[in-house]
Amino acid sequence: MTLLSLKHGLARFGAAAFLALGALTAQPMTAIAGGKFVFANSSAYDTLDPHAVFDVGRVASRINMYDGLMRWQDNPPVLKPWLAEKVDVSDDGLTYTFTLRDAKFHDGSPVEASDVVYSIDRILEMKKGAYSLFEGTIAIGSTKAPDAKTVVFTLSKPSAVFLATVPEIYVVNEEVVTANYDGDDLGTTWLSKNGAGSGSFKLKRYDPAIGWQAERFDDHFFGWDMVDDPLDSIEFRTVVEINSRVLGLMNGDFHGTDGYLPQDQVKRLRDSDDVYVDEQESMRIFYSIIHNGREPMSDQNFRKALSYSFDYDGFINDILSGSVARDPVPLPNNMWGAPADVEGYTYDLEKAKEYLDKVEGDIPEITIGALAGYGQTEQAAALLQNGLNKIGIKTKIVAEPWPVASGKMRDEEQMYDLLFLWKSTYYADPNNWLGEMYACEQIGARNNSWYCNEEVDKLLSEARTSTDQELRKANYEKANMMLMEDAAGIYIYNTKWFGPFNKKVKGVRFSPIGNGQEMRWVSME
Amino acid sequence: MRVLVLIVNRLLWFVPTLLGLLIITFTITHIIPSDPIAFIAGDNASAEQIAQLKEKFGIDKPIPVQLWNYIVGVAQGDFGKSLYTQRPIADDLVSRLPATLELTLVAVLLAAIIGIPLGVLAAVNRNSWIDHILRIFTVSGLAIAAFWLAILFQLLFAMEWGLTPLQGRVDGWGPDVVTGFFLIDSLIMGDWAVFWDVVHHMILPAITLAFPAMATVMRFTRAGVLDAINSNYVDYQQAMGVPRRVVIWRYVLRNALIGTVTQLGLIFGSLIANGVVVEAVFDWPGLGLYAVQSILQSDYNAIMGFTLVMGTIFIIANLLVDITHGLIDPREAR
Repeated sequence: MTLLSLKHGLARFGAAAFLALGALTAQPMTAIAGGKFVFANSSAYDTLDPHAVFDVGRVASRINMYDGLMRWQDNPPVLKPWLAEKVDVSDDGLTYTFTLRDAKFHDGSPVEASDVVYSIDRILEMKKGAYSLFEGTIAIGSTKAPDAKTVVFTLSKPSAVFLATVPEIYVVNEEVVTANYDGDDLGTTWLSKNGAGSGSFKLKRYDPAIGWQAERFDDHFFGWDMVDDPLDSIEFRTVVEINSRVLGLMNGDFHGTDGYLPQDQVKRLRDSDDVYVDEQESMRIFYSIIHNGREPMSDQNFRKALSYSFDYDGFINDILSGSVARDPVPLPNNMWGAPADVEGYTYDLEKAKEYLDKVEGDIPEITIGALAGYGQTEQAAALLQNGLNKIGIKTKIVAEPWPVASGKMRDEEQMYDLLFLWKSTYYADPNNWLGEMYACEQIGARNNSWYCNEEVDKLLSEARTSTDQELRKANYEKANMMLMEDAAGIYIYNTKWFGPFNKKVKGVRFSPIGNGQEMRWVSME
Repeated sequence: MRVLVLIVNRLLWFVPTLLGLLIITFTITHIIPSDPIAFIAGDNASAEQIAQLKEKFGIDKPIPVQLWNYIVGVAQGDFGKSLYTQRPIADDLVSRLPATLELTLVAVLLAAIIGIPLGVLAAVNRNSWIDHILRIFTVSGLAIAAFWLAILFQLLFAMEWGLTPLQGRVDGWGPDVVTGFFLIDSLIMGDWAVFWDVVHHMILPAITLAFPAMATVMRFTRAGVLDAINSNYVDYQQAMGVPRRVVIWRYVLRNALIGTVTQLGLIFGSLIANGVVVEAVFDWPGLGLYAVQSILQSDYNAIMGFTLVMGTIFIIANLLVDITHGLIDPREAR
């Protein structure tokens, strides 16, 4: 035996290995088509409990498998009765009486008022998810079901935004959930991987590592007549890599993915023969919190210097390729209450220096916070750093993951001097932005700017409790202008949504609250 | 008998090693300025709500107390529950571990099956054109980033030529779970279509994961063979007329493999840890992504559970390496 035969042996081994590989690759692939819609989602569905989470990234499991009394639809979002047939509001604005439609849960049992009562009390008891929307407004045990079809909410204090938050009360089947309690866990362990809703689709399969699959619920109260060929089933899979989501959409593995992709990927999808991109103006503002409670940011002149040091055009047009809309105020510019024709701050270093000169005392090094893993926040921080360096302000950028940042945001001492982030739509009312971000009573909780301006606060407080729509609109417009004038934050843009879908997909209805992921309207050619 | 003593000795070190690992990881995860409860409670939660939740989950207590409670729980087989989902951590780990183990085992197997013969080939052809070409292969394997290679493979084999699936572990949801290893489960079910589909899905991620490991195995095998090939016993055996093929594969390789086997043990551990990139690109539902997500969310119990499992696997892999050493070279077991 020689070296030559050794080489031949290895060569034969190699050839055999590659032939085997070739044989394997010749296996047919299973096609995904027909009435099944597959969505590639960037966030992991680590729980399906509709009361445990309250984020936009995982809204699909809530909105498709559960129903609320009301539902936000379309863009701009319109609040429509859903499980409720009608709602009556008392003159004092404290009592909301909902009358339920005839509806069934997925197990065939009727949806009753007691299930709604159980659901709101469960949210309040769990203190997770949408709890913060109702805390202080509804007390546990205050919601009553005088009969099977009537639910009465009695608010602890008047709230003009209560109705806007009602869609977040997803109704669960009390009997099913309570039968699956594990000690005092309120059924969270069981409901994290099972379904107990009445939504348009019924859970078929769930794997936290993969996602979930659901079948059309033929007995859904809304019926299916309005869609010619409704989907048989839907599947939402977790695919964390952007490139994998995009490639999967291009080759037909997926029929849709999230609408907030980077512009280079959107362009790639637009160039694909099998994909279309639905462009809509959303309601998700990008801004920088300024810590108004700490020097020198407590000085309006310094805040104005900060606002004039950010290159808005460069960020929006160069970095983001014009894929977003300039929004100079803290309210999305397509939301009522946003003032029209506001010019806002521009990138003007001369003006920045002018205001900086008016600031008394030494300027310490400024810490600019960004969210690690969210490239845009880091890019914006770098851009601001560049502007501030040019006017002689020393800065440092700190990029930290969201759990770290969100913890610091609630601590006056630990909070960054500035922090770039988004504010999403949890309910379509200006209070979602202005009231949460700048009301004095929210300092340290939802107001992470430590901003408290009595005049602004009065406007916000009045708007939050009044039922006079004209007054509310006027108050929010005025508050917006005052906040901008006061440079309470650096307001940059309102997001556009670029929903990519396979060309077979028809009937997608985008709403900023559901992110275009309510699948009951969709069909496949 | 000596191998048995070796195993017992290693097992005795098992508990203190894991305990040390747990204490270090627990302390680090709890002292970094992260607030998972604020994250769970949502954007709009007040400080009071967050405090109430902390009390509910028991993370308002001093760190040593929390650590003690955790260790007592683990000793009783309770890994705790996820702060986010309230599901038992053990359930989450059990559902994901087979996917990671299956991919890693296949990758290590590929690395060994391809890397060892190529290493021998490079050594017996030292400084020839074969050696030079294989050197390019090994340098590439060590230098090319896994995510780049993964995307390249996807573009080429899945998108351009349509030869392999783009991502996922199987079309649809896979066979009924018996072991969680889809290759085994599909065979148990006698479902050859699913078996081939699983193999089909595994090609790209396994090769991507195996590529750098293959390069390491090749280099170590080559070095080992070169070291052994110059020994006196090789000259003696050749002088005695023993065929060169037999000398290389029976005697030289056996001596040369000691270093390679050590590397395979280390590679196994590092592939599990590094598999996260491959898992992310190929949408492979394994432990890597779970760990990353848990770390980003500061889901304490999930991080600890992952660490415990990884530590155990690493210790077992090293124990197997030691045993294999003993079998290859009986002097090692002395």
